[in-house]
Order: sequence, then structure tokens, then C-alpha cells
Amino acid sequence: MVSINYASREVTCKIVFYGPGLSGKTTNLIYVHNKVPSTTRGKMISLATEADRTLYFDFLPINIGTINGFTAKFQLYTVPGQVYYNATRKLVLRGVDGIVFVADSQAEKMDENIESLTNMKENLAEYGYDINDIPVVIQYNKRDLPGVLTVPELEAKLNPLGWMSFEAEAVTGKGVFDTLKMIIKLVLEKAKSTRSSVTTTAAKQPEPAAVTGATSFETSGKSGDYERTPAAAPAPEPTMVSRQTAYNVPDDVNGDVDEENHNGNGVEFNTLKEERVLSHSALDQDVSRPSDAVDAAAHDDGTSPASESPTGRRPYPGSTTSKILRRDRRITVSDFQPVTKEGEPAGSGRITGAESHHETGAGASLPSPYMAPPKRIVKKKQGFFKRLFGIK
Amino acid sequence: MNDDNLIIYEEEIEKIDSILARMLKGAEAKCALLVDKDGHLITRQGFTHSLDTTALAALLAGSFASTKEIARLVGESEFSVLFHQGKKDHIHMSLVGDRSIMAVIFDDRTTIGMVRLYAKETSIELGKIFSSLKSRAHVGAGLTDEFTKSANNKLDDIFQD
Repeated sequence: MVSINYASREVTCKIVFYGPGLSGKTTNLIYVHNKVPSTTRGKMISLATEADRTLYFDFLPINIGTINGFTAKFQLYTVPGQVYYNATRKLVLRGVDGIVFVADSQAEKMDENIESLTNMKENLAEYGYDINDIPVVIQYNKRDLPGVLTVPELEAKLNPLGWMSFEAEAVTGKGVFDTLKMIIKLVLEKAKSTRSSVTTTAAKQPEPAAVTGATSFETSGKSGDYERTPAAAPAPEPTMVSRQTAYNVPDDVNGDVDEENHNGNGVEFNTLKEERVLSHSALDQDVSRPSDAVDAAAHDDGTSPASESPTGRRPYPGSTTSKILRRDRRITVSDFQPVTKEGEPAGSGRITGAESHHETGAGASLPSPYMAPPKRIVKKKQGFFKRLFGIK
Repeated sequence: MNDDNLIIYEEEIEKIDSILARMLKGAEAKCALLVDKDGHLITRQGFTHSLDTTALAALLAGSFASTKEIARLVGESEFSVLFHQGKKDHIHMSLVGDRSIMAVIFDDRTTIGMVRLYAKETSIELGKIFSSLKSRAHVGAGLTDEFTKSANNKLDDIFQD
């Protein structure tokens, strides 16, 4: 199933390379991994045996960039080809959107091809998928070897359903991209056709995200510059950077983004930030909270979020919290406001004070002050002395 | 089994995020990932900076899937909780609804008991959200013509020998 995430604005599809053992599925993935720019692909993960045979699956995420305000991602998986590993092979097929069947063109491997193809149909049927519903592309691999069958011969035996087919030499890369491009096209086509009423209903969705996605197309459409689509949503696009690198963005970048969006100092929670920014208008009344909530999330009980974070518990190693907090820790007038209010006994004055402080904090995007609520401190002291001297 | 595409809307994600954040706070865990059983990352919370969450999601789903198969072989329908213990960091995985997995990564600042307790509550809460999502997803939304068209144009730029 194609997964569409409106919050992180991602469309994710799963493509599986299927085929008999040693037919070149992993080689296909390795070639793609080597040839595609590193901004487009993520890390390739191979769960293989000592002898480099796939044990569970190989995994290569590919991010083709932002289209229509959505990041299109493809997850390429291979299955273990050996008959023995059918249990794990079946698991990889779960939720598949498109299949590339990599067939070995050598005459003596024909039986294995047929066996694997039958097995694929069985496994799909076990999940309740219909082979006719899923886009499939056949790749006749190892065309460079001597003694291979001709394409018509292969077609006759392996391709009764008339799937698209390509000749390939995965080792040299010939035909690899053609196959991949075709399966991606078919998968997208399929995702579209299963939802024929898409265009109208997508815009009807209550959240603004879908609407911006649909409307921003004209401007952001085909332009090669998909890293920064000016019209598409004010959100920072994490897209062209692969997942891994996206997380290692230098602190300043995050900080700047935050300042632009008047979002206070909540920096360490990358997802939250993206999503907050997107829905930022919806959260306007509550602008100073997200950052606090973010700070507080892993730290404490929310009532005194700010007081603890800078000095209290240390952030986890590798997180950038401490640095950011120190940098943002500018002492401003608003820092002292709660203290003065604390001294005043008048209830009404106190409330208005708090409100005005809240507004300035939100409007001028000042960092919210790191102050403990006054009540708690007072209580602590009283209790301490009473206990110390045994006064009741 | 062959259900609709998984479509998640912003408001649900916000709800889910806040629930996850609350759980992290309560259990004092490092981070939480919500992963589809197919291996797609749904959302993440906490300190996920240093993690390759895409790969993590795929592997977590894979590990859960293989455990399910093991369960079937020993006569269980599914193991709903999975726990990996490391030297410093540990992972607690639990089933949410019928098609998602929540993975909580934590270290020695907290205990497995705390994490289990909070994870159990959270997965029930999240399960409710997902079941409401399921009934809603049928409204219909998905890829537009323009999307596929411009994606196809882009493919030629990216995949060239």
C-alpha cells in the first residue's frame, strides 16, 4: 500500500526485487546505490550471510525529491532468492506496491525462474494480494553471459501476463535504471488509479496541508530546483537530504528556521518542528507552548519545564540541546517579569501580567524565560525550615 | 489483508505525537518511533537526531515480522511485545492496533518496567486513534495526476547511467 503521510508530507512506496537465487537482485540494488547521487539515496542495508547471500532482505531507500509539496520516497527491498528462505521471503512481500522480477536468462536456470515465479504468486496470494493488481516488471538479467535464451523464449515461459520486460546486465548496470524507472511509473500510476476521485477529494480534506499541496503545483511543478520550492508551503523541506544527513543538520540551521517561524527555542525535536511549522496557523493561539512542550517532553512534568532544562538533567549525548539552550539564553526584560509579579499579592494584577508576558513572548519570538513557577519555591523553603527545626 | 493505502492526516499525527511525548516524559525514555508493519515510519518523537530512522523503521518492521512468524510456528498468533536488551540502550516494541508497531528506545535512566507500563497504556490509546483513522481513510485522498506526471519527469533526471 502506498503510504501517504500528510503530517510529514511524504509519499512512500515499497518496491520488491524478487527472483531466484543468484539472479542479481542485490546487484541491482548495489548498482542503484552506487550510481544515484548520495542526496537521493539513503544508506543501503544488507542482511546477508557470511557468504554474502541475502538472508532476510536488502533495503535501499530512495528519495526522489519534493513533488507537489510531497516528498516521494521509494523503498527498494530484495528478497532472499534461495528456496530455503521462503519464510523470510514471504515477509518482505508484506505491503508491497510494485515488484521487479529478476530472471536469470541462462537456459539451465529456467526451472528456477519458473519455480520462483510460482512461489511469488503463492506468497502474494497468502497475503490476499492479486498478482493482476500489483504492478510487475520483468528483468531478464545476465544478458552478457554466453548461452542465454533469447528474449522471445523467455517471454513465452515467464511472461504469460504480458508484463513490461527489460534486458539487463546488473553487473554493468545496463537496463537497471530502465527497469527501476518503469516500475516507479507503474506504481505511481497504480496509486493514482486506485483513487480515481483523488483530485477533488484531496482538496476537500479539512487540513490545510492537502490544499497547499494541490495548489502549489503550478509553481513548483517541473522546475529542477526542487530543493526549495518557494510557493509550496512555508515549511522547511528536509527532502533532498537523506534521512541520516538530515538529522545532522548543524544547530544554526535549526535555530534559524525556528526564528523565522517565530517558534521559540524548541529545536531538538525535529519532527515536531516540521509539523508544528506546517500547522503553525492552527496553533497560533498557543504559540509559546510547542517549544516548551518540546523542551519538557523528555525532561519533566511540564509544570516547570524551563527551570530544569538548562541546568537540571543533562541532554542525551549527541543531542544538541545544551548548546542551543546556552545560545538562546539571552537575558531580556521579559525574563524578569514573572519574578516581580511573584512578589505582588494582588491576584488580578498578576493575571494580566502573565497574559501580557505571554503575548510579548509569542509575538516578538523571544525565548520563553526559564523560570520556575513561584509557588513551588516558596513551598519548598517553608517545608524545609519547618522540618529542620521540627516546628509543626 | 489487502486494505487501502495508509493515509495519515495531520491532526491525527498531532494527537499521536502528543501521546508519544507524554509517554516519553512519563517513562523517561529517549525516543519513540511509530512504524507501519510494512516498514514505513509514521512518526517519531524524542531524540532521534543521531538515528537513521528510515532504516530503523524497515528493520524494526522486519524484526517484528520475523517474530510473528516464529510465534506462529510455536502456536501463538503473534507476540505483542518485543524487547531487545543492549549494554546501554534497549528497545521495547509493542503492537499498536493491528498494523503498527511502537518502538521505544531507552537507557538506564529508566527501567523496563516503567517503559512497559507506559507503553501498554499508550498503545491502547493509539489503537483507538488508528481505528478511527481506518474508518476515515475511506473518504479518499491520494496521488494526483500532476504528482505522477512530475514524478515521472524527475525520474529521468535522477536515474541516468
